[in-house]
Amino acid sequence: MRILAVDDDPIILELLCQFIEAVGDHNLSTAPSAIDALEFLESNPDDVFDCFLFDIQMPGMDGIDLTRKLRETSRFADTPVLMLTAMAEKRYIDNAFAAGATDYVTKPFEVAELKARLNTVEGLLEARQTRTKKIFATQSLAEDVNTVEIYEPISIYDVENVIDYLAMENYVAQLSKQSLFGSTTFAFTIRQIDAFHAGLSAFEFYSLIQDVAEIISDTLVGRQYLMSYAGSGTFVCITESGWRPDMQQLMDAINLSLARTELYNNAGQRLQPRVSAGGAIRLVWKTGNSVMEALAAAHASAEEACVAFEKSQSNYFELGQTA
Amino acid sequence: MNELPGIDRVRGRFLEMLEQRQSAIAGHALAAWDGQTLEDINENLASAQAVLHQISGSAGSLGWADLGKAARECEMEIIAHLEGPDADLAICPGELIYHLDVFVTNCREVIAAQRTPVEAE
Repeated sequence: MRILAVDDDPIILELLCQFIEAVGDHNLSTAPSAIDALEFLESNPDDVFDCFLFDIQMPGMDGIDLTRKLRETSRFADTPVLMLTAMAEKRYIDNAFAAGATDYVTKPFEVAELKARLNTVEGLLEARQTRTKKIFATQSLAEDVNTVEIYEPISIYDVENVIDYLAMENYVAQLSKQSLFGSTTFAFTIRQIDAFHAGLSAFEFYSLIQDVAEIISDTLVGRQYLMSYAGSGTFVCITESGWRPDMQQLMDAINLSLARTELYNNAGQRLQPRVSAGGAIRLVWKTGNSVMEALAAAHASAEEACVAFEKSQSNYFELGQTA
Repeated sequence: MNELPGIDRVRGRFLEMLEQRQSAIAGHALAAWDGQTLEDINENLASAQAVLHQISGSAGSLGWADLGKAARECEMEIIAHLEGPDADLAICPGELIYHLDVFVTNCREVIAAQRTPVEAE
């Protein structure tokens, strides 16, 4: 992998050089500040980087702003970013994930840990290469856009607090017991997602997911949360602020907003997506795998709500009938 | 990180920098203690915190875990002061300065312990 490491501490950069040399198979470039890194990337427009390692706390522009800046470009919109931080405090980590970080490593780091994180990044890159499903929101309907599988957790760009599903998993894995105390996970599923997927082109489907993400994000504005598209029309959210969301109320607000938003396919036909909400699952007292299971349970709960809604629609004339 | 081939060179460079860094921390701590204005105090404490941050980030990877931990504790103490209720008062807590003094002494001990007997003489 071609890696760019940015840290204001020359010792860390030297350590990383030694580490990369020992691990082999990687090529490391370094920069002592975010500004130097941006200048380097600008002056070498043909350089391809597979992974970034950014210190969070740096004088001037910090690693979070640097990540945000790179995410605004199509060139590095989804290049994995590992944050390096000596400050394992939630406020920095939250902001880093919200800015687009993929994962983080706490300093002082160990060889085995760094190696494991880089292996994860390599795995991610390989998976992307085989799928080649990246579609930019700003891209016009290009002929080379491939098909998108319905279950695929497509990356969504430029929507507030929306992060990659892998980053969401990494984020949840690092939540401390204290943080879990006030945390809740919940999910929304787009109704009749199969029909949308079957009837729309890959780009139209991507645009629909992006638009629904924007509307959910707008509805949750003012709340502290992170959201990720998990595939199959489901958005999984997590909040740590102690807020206990009223799912019925949220679902109604999102659907009202969707009803007011005019969405069309390329043929000019109006799309009218609506979502179903699952239950809000508190993460208190959960540890390790059970936190991940809670995320999966929130996901499943939204999908079940969706199925139940569709069933209730088809059984409309049976409503009120009793045996 | 001990298994890395060039780790001794990085450790040597860390010690060289630790000489300058402990001196910088001591300078900022004294300037904060003597500071008359809020800016003098807080800016010097913030500068000391930035240096501590660097030590806490790398010392542990190079075999000085205790030094890294002590740096982190001092760093957190400064952050707590700068973000605490006294942050807008021209007060430099004596306890904080005492902890920085202990940390600087620790740094000097680490540096002295790594010198060869010939160099130490």
